[in-house]
Amino acid sequence: MSIQNSRRNAFVALSAVLTGVQKVQLFGTGQTDAYLATLERILPADLLDELLGRFEALAGNDGIEAAVEPQILADTRLGALAQNIILMWYRGVWRRLPDDWRANFGSFPEDENHLISAAAYQAGLQWEIAGAHPIGARHQGYAAWCLVPERPTRRENA
Amino acid sequence: MSETGQYDVVIVGAGVAGALIAKRLTGAGLKVLVLEAGPGTTRSAADYKNHLETYYAASAKGTESPWPAATAAPQPDGGDLFKDKSLPATSGYFVQKGPHLYGSTYTRTLGGSTLHWLGVSLRMLPEDFEMSSCFGLARDWPIRYETLSPYYDQAEYEMGVSADVADQRYLGLSFSGGYDYPMQRVPLSYSDRVLGAAVNGMPVNMGEESVSVQIRSYPAARNSIPRSGYQPVGALDVNAGGVPRRTYLGERCEGNTACIPICPVQARYNANKSLAQADRHHLTLKTQAVASEILVDNISQAVTAIRYKRYDDPNSTQHSEEIASGRIYILAAHAVENARLMLASGLQSQSKRVGCGLMDHPALYAWGLAPFNVGSFRGPQSTSGIEDFRAGRFRCGHAAFRFDIGNDGWHATTGAPDTTVNDAVLQQKLFGRQLRSHLNDQLSRQVRFSLAVEQLPNLKNRVTVDPSYRDKMGNPRPVIEYEIDDYTFKGMIAARNVAREVFHQAGITDCSRNSEALPFPTAEYEGEKFYYHGMGHFAGTHAMGDKAENSVVDDYQCSWEHPNLYLVGSGSFTTMGTSNPTLTLAALALRTADYIIARMAKGD
Repeated sequence: MSIQNSRRNAFVALSAVLTGVQKVQLFGTGQTDAYLATLERILPADLLDELLGRFEALAGNDGIEAAVEPQILADTRLGALAQNIILMWYRGVWRRLPDDWRANFGSFPEDENHLISAAAYQAGLQWEIAGAHPIGARHQGYAAWCLVPERPTRRENA
Repeated sequence: MSETGQYDVVIVGAGVAGALIAKRLTGAGLKVLVLEAGPGTTRSAADYKNHLETYYAASAKGTESPWPAATAAPQPDGGDLFKDKSLPATSGYFVQKGPHLYGSTYTRTLGGSTLHWLGVSLRMLPEDFEMSSCFGLARDWPIRYETLSPYYDQAEYEMGVSADVADQRYLGLSFSGGYDYPMQRVPLSYSDRVLGAAVNGMPVNMGEESVSVQIRSYPAARNSIPRSGYQPVGALDVNAGGVPRRTYLGERCEGNTACIPICPVQARYNANKSLAQADRHHLTLKTQAVASEILVDNISQAVTAIRYKRYDDPNSTQHSEEIASGRIYILAAHAVENARLMLASGLQSQSKRVGCGLMDHPALYAWGLAPFNVGSFRGPQSTSGIEDFRAGRFRCGHAAFRFDIGNDGWHATTGAPDTTVNDAVLQQKLFGRQLRSHLNDQLSRQVRFSLAVEQLPNLKNRVTVDPSYRDKMGNPRPVIEYEIDDYTFKGMIAARNVAREVFHQAGITDCSRNSEALPFPTAEYEGEKFYYHGMGHFAGTHAMGDKAENSVVDDYQCSWEHPNLYLVGSGSFTTMGTSNPTLTLAALALRTADYIIARMAKGD
């Protein structure tokens, strides 16, 4: 397996844990490569590899979610990166890293607030999770707004 | 400088008023020239799609985001409101002198602000035309509801309004026998029905009256199911390259939740739908043509020509000066632009009231969480309102108001769902399945009301020009003075209290917590700070009246001083009540068109 493929697999596996959305659904957004490329464009390679490496060391545990919290999200350096990955998937944006993070761990020229692309806007998980559609796109059809909203399955909200 | 040929009628502005008049006049065989300041990039599918892509790709998806202004024809933008720390605010297109910020914007592109309107097509109430007679306030219009009623019928057909007339007979509104709207009402959303089940019929005290609340479908200029014989009208009428094609009718409303700022399927009316129906043999349309001066004969005061600046590149100020002349001239450029052009030409009117009496519907938001999933973020941006507080004796003491009930969660207020996600991830530190579950729960319960409050004409609220403030083409920019008065503030308080009662009755948790983080202008009244926003309802800048001393135009929107000049649009409103102004200005435009046809037929 190439380095790129292994990085991609690790990225999606980490993303699934962070977002609470299955890998196959993440792939279904069509944005996996664009988001990984965003990380690679903005962050130094060693930092990204450290984040993914930390996750891979935890993988295989049954309680991966419980392990990710202290090991990654609560980490003063890696936590903000993990939050940015969540925001990418849910909203299609890159959030500028917090000022104190930049002061402590480095600032990168492309680390600025921005929408990743028009397609990323439409692919944001927030819309589907809301039971909705991206505003201005992927319409549900005439009078679909009259339908009783479907409850999420227990499995999805477990 | 070159001169264009002689026309019967020269119209400045291809928004809804200009388009409706152009359609009617060319249909009567009159030779019409329309000058549009902005680009004409709304007539082909490819161009329209570009605007849609611009919107998708915009980081900030504000009202003007799909419709960027040409350098030569700048426009106000919501983002302008917060660029300056003090008054006058000069960073945007408007020069705002305050004391309060005027919060609304408009679009200078072919089709005007109907490119990004919500489509609410309410008639004004009979008592709205008689504010002085009924409440001792402001002035009466020179016409009554009954005068305008047949033109309301016509405007509803021209624009393709969806409603059931049976829902719309309230607060004195009457319709001619057998009349119904051209299309069936847009179905109420699930959240409307849930809310209605909880609150319909609840009594609310308003002064000495008890008002019964009703969640009501409002007439909307969005395609739904046509009634028999009605053919929806289309907008896209040229292929790439400008070759005429059969007009595309637009789809039925598909629930894109994006009426503002762009309907992706052209279900919601925009003025290009009317312009596409103008008789091409009699219509000349010049886009990227910014009217800069009205030329007047010193003796007769008749208009002799319009001077305009024509540009080829929307990103450049390079232009040529041209002259357009006709027998009749119609300013249909927008309430602010009409006044600006008059004043820039030195035409103040005898009453000195050009530009004076600027109004809007300053509006508050109320937002909360429903007790269960109501399916937010689905459907047109809104499908219902509360209309019961638009009329009543209480108007002697404070402003009337109406509620628009959103289907778009807290999108308009807090910037949800983005801000809901940010809060969950960055503040609450949620992730994984818990995050997903939290967002599903929160987003699907978000409810939003817009509380749009009436404003009376005050001559001190006005548009002026000042030679020291010019745009890049050298045209003077609008200078705006604006203050919200006690009558409106008291209406805001009453509206906010009603919203709280409705939320309480429906079991909605009130989350209306304003803060400086939200992008709204503020105003203080009796020690309380109000966060308000503009509704885009510019009006009153060339108000109509029954005599030249107290108004700018007569009831046909003809200038008192200049016998061949008409100023049309919501600038002509004497007062504005609580209805969104587009339908009324459309009805007035059609009445003016008929009058002009009759006048020209007589050789006048």
